[in-house]
Amino acid sequence: MKNFLLLLLVPFFLLSCSSKHQSEEIVISTNQWIGYTPLYYAYEKGYLQDLNIKIINSVSLAEAADIYRVGQANMVTTTQHEYNALREDTHDIVPVILLDRSNGGDMVLSNRTIEELKKSKKIYAYLEVDSINQEILKDFITNNNMDIDKLVIINKDQEQIQEVNFKKLINKDLLIVTYTPYDVALVAQGFQEIASTKNIDSIIVIDALCSTTELRKNEEKRLLRLKKALDRSIDDIKQNPRKAYKIVAKYLSNIPYDEFSSSLQSIKWINKPSDELLEFIDKYHYTKETILK
Amino acid sequence: MITIIFSLFYDFYLKEKQITQRLIQRNIQSAALNLNSFLRKNFDPEHIGTIVSQLDSRIISNKALASIEIIDEKNNIVYNSLHYVKSHSNTAKLCIPITNIMRSELNKTVCYEFNIKYYKGLHSRIYRVILGIDLDYVHTMQTKEATQILSIALLFTLSFFVIVYYLFNHYIIQPLESLRTYAYYSEYSPQEFLIKEFESIRYSLEMTFKRLKTEQENLYNLSTKDPLTQLYNRNDLRSQIKRIIASTKRSKKKFAIVFLDLDNFKNINDSIGHHFGDIVLKKVANSLRSAIRENDVPARIGGDEFLIVLPDVDNEHSVTEVLKRIKQHISTPIQIKNERYKITVSMGVALYPKDGKDFNTLLKNADIAMYNAKALGKNNYQFFTDALNKSVQEKIKMQSLLSSALENNYFELFYQPKVDISTNKIIACEALIRLVHPQEGIIPPDRFIPVAEENGMIIAIGEWIIQEACAQITQWQDTPLKGIKLSINVSGRQLEEKNFLEILKQHLHCIESSKLDIELTESVLIKDFDAKIELLNKMKKLGITLSLDDFGTGYSSLSYLRDIPFDTLKIDKSFIDKMQENKAFINMIIGIADDLNLEVVAEGVETQQQLTYLEEMQCEMYQGYLCSKPLPAHQFEERFKECNHIS
Repeated sequence: MKNFLLLLLVPFFLLSCSSKHQSEEIVISTNQWIGYTPLYYAYEKGYLQDLNIKIINSVSLAEAADIYRVGQANMVTTTQHEYNALREDTHDIVPVILLDRSNGGDMVLSNRTIEELKKSKKIYAYLEVDSINQEILKDFITNNNMDIDKLVIINKDQEQIQEVNFKKLINKDLLIVTYTPYDVALVAQGFQEIASTKNIDSIIVIDALCSTTELRKNEEKRLLRLKKALDRSIDDIKQNPRKAYKIVAKYLSNIPYDEFSSSLQSIKWINKPSDELLEFIDKYHYTKETILK
Repeated sequence: MITIIFSLFYDFYLKEKQITQRLIQRNIQSAALNLNSFLRKNFDPEHIGTIVSQLDSRIISNKALASIEIIDEKNNIVYNSLHYVKSHSNTAKLCIPITNIMRSELNKTVCYEFNIKYYKGLHSRIYRVILGIDLDYVHTMQTKEATQILSIALLFTLSFFVIVYYLFNHYIIQPLESLRTYAYYSEYSPQEFLIKEFESIRYSLEMTFKRLKTEQENLYNLSTKDPLTQLYNRNDLRSQIKRIIASTKRSKKKFAIVFLDLDNFKNINDSIGHHFGDIVLKKVANSLRSAIRENDVPARIGGDEFLIVLPDVDNEHSVTEVLKRIKQHISTPIQIKNERYKITVSMGVALYPKDGKDFNTLLKNADIAMYNAKALGKNNYQFFTDALNKSVQEKIKMQSLLSSALENNYFELFYQPKVDISTNKIIACEALIRLVHPQEGIIPPDRFIPVAEENGMIIAIGEWIIQEACAQITQWQDTPLKGIKLSINVSGRQLEEKNFLEILKQHLHCIESSKLDIELTESVLIKDFDAKIELLNKMKKLGITLSLDDFGTGYSSLSYLRDIPFDTLKIDKSFIDKMQENKAFINMIIGIADDLNLEVVAEGVETQQQLTYLEEMQCEMYQGYLCSKPLPAHQFEERFKECNHIS
């Protein structure tokens, strides 16, 4: 009889037992950037396993920001450009974890020297206007006392820039604002670095992981665990970059290890930021109250 | 239950609604994302016409979208899709940023918006992109889903109740009904149940019914079977015979019952023991089973008494065949510890309807026939006959008469004279008992003495004779008959009575004992001869005389004459009746008596010729109708005076 009653009750149990309550999924919108490898690394190593985190990988920062913009992600990797653009658009984004600052990772390439460019009457500038490229370019023009009106701005994302046949334009004065690892192919075509974040002091390109206000407020513990996972990953990458390369290469279009290694050299990890840095980036509207140390 | 089910489905509906909403929201998100990506690369407000068709196609291809509108910083419409009907200004107020789409209520949101930047050089202008939502589509999807879920809920509820009813019926109602039926009829045990409790009840019932059935069988066997032989007992046989009678009556056939009694079984029990007796009974039972036909009914109705019913018999011959087989089977010797014992049986047969129409009559008549078989020497069978019945009825009647004769003084002594042949005077007499019944008249002793001997009444009758004879001698004391000698007959059973001598003494004390003569037949002396000699000597010492009656018909052993102190020999009437043939024997008997100095009395003398011859042979006395038949006392006295010339 007991068995029979149990048999009768089984469907109720099956129907009434709701699935185990899970915390809200954290969707991180990101793109291929050496500074974001700790995310891929932590994901591959299983450090994020219990945190219910999903990663959406896009081609560019702009697309990654778009995904956040339309609400498909509640965390996003940004430079201060995307961060501020999203802040103006959505009014719902706060910095949570600082990852790296560009230390040569963002650069200006050209087929001319700076002097030649200064003399040039018309410079064709290729860049992704709605990105940190714009800030880099403006800083470059200002620092070199160049007339911005000489520039013919050609707005393309980094993938599109890679597809431009620059051989046909070799006689023109060209300037490309790009970042690693897209610089490698362009250098191979004969472009030379004339400026980079390594030797520009007036601007610091900050790569950070930002989230919605609600997520930052409600999921602090999970975000702290995420921070710890990323710290651990950064430590692993620092200690054994070759091993890390094997794990994350597929997220970076399988670039050679040498490129990976040199790219690592072009950034500095700021996951444990100093107070001075936090003070400095406050002008980019990075509120230190929300940043996890 | 229904409330629970519908609560579950309502919860499910809400979740599904949420999922549907999320799917539509995701769809809108994807549309917004694609549109954003497209516009970032292709939007040029001065050449909007180049992308109008592509923008329109997005509306057509996405059912959730009702319109797309692009508005500049001054609220001028740069692009407006064909389907859009509301004014941009009103719509714009209600729009929710696309970023918050997942936190919005889809069915209450008319539109979502996001910004795009248009760069001219490094200068940017912001445009708002408004996505109008087709709320009818959203409502249709949700209603459709609600209808589907409601249908599923109803179907599920119906299915659930059908399944519950089926399960309830299959696992509870039907088992209960099976158990009820089983409990009521106690047969056709249901198959094992899945539910442990029901199975437990079923198993318990099964065990109980099995036990009850076993007990019923045991009780039935106890009530219908003989525990020793496992043959039917008397009670069951009675009911079986009633049934056979009813059946036979309808078919107008016959059946027979055979009454069997083991010969000398009492001796077996007494000599070898009851244990062996039981073995014998079992063996006999087995022999009966193997000897009878398939539909014959064997039964044990008493200690060594068996009864067999033989249904459907055509005639006595078919019965005889069975009887022979039974006799043959039973007579097979039984071997126990190197000893072989042969068992024999006497059987009596009664046939239905000739010999009885009910159980008791048939049993009684078969019993009579069996006793006849015993009487005829045992180890044989006898059929019941009318003559046998008549004989038994006579015996029964006589037993009835005897039982009351003493109390009612129906007995009377008749006296037959013994005549001295030389003087032709009566010198003695033989007292012969008669039963004088008020309705039947005088009944001779040969009709009732055997019955009295069989039922033991002969003891009382014998004592009465002694008492009466002595009284008669006393009565004649002062009459002319005072010298007469009176003979009485004593049976073998009387002599075997331990107090016979005492009784005799008791009655002799008032008479002259020499006036009493006791006549004994040879058969009386056969059993326990030595003890009898001792008793007879003691009797002789009392002063009475002894006569050997019916000499020449039995063993006629000379040793009797040598060892027993007889005074008189009585020549049996059969010699006298055929005197011409028996002259030599009569002469020889008289010679022996003369040599032994015994008196001789010839019995049954009825003619003068017989008397003449006896006189020639110097026989001393005779007795018979020539002088007188046995007479009542007063007539005898008259006859005595007449013969002895006493006036």
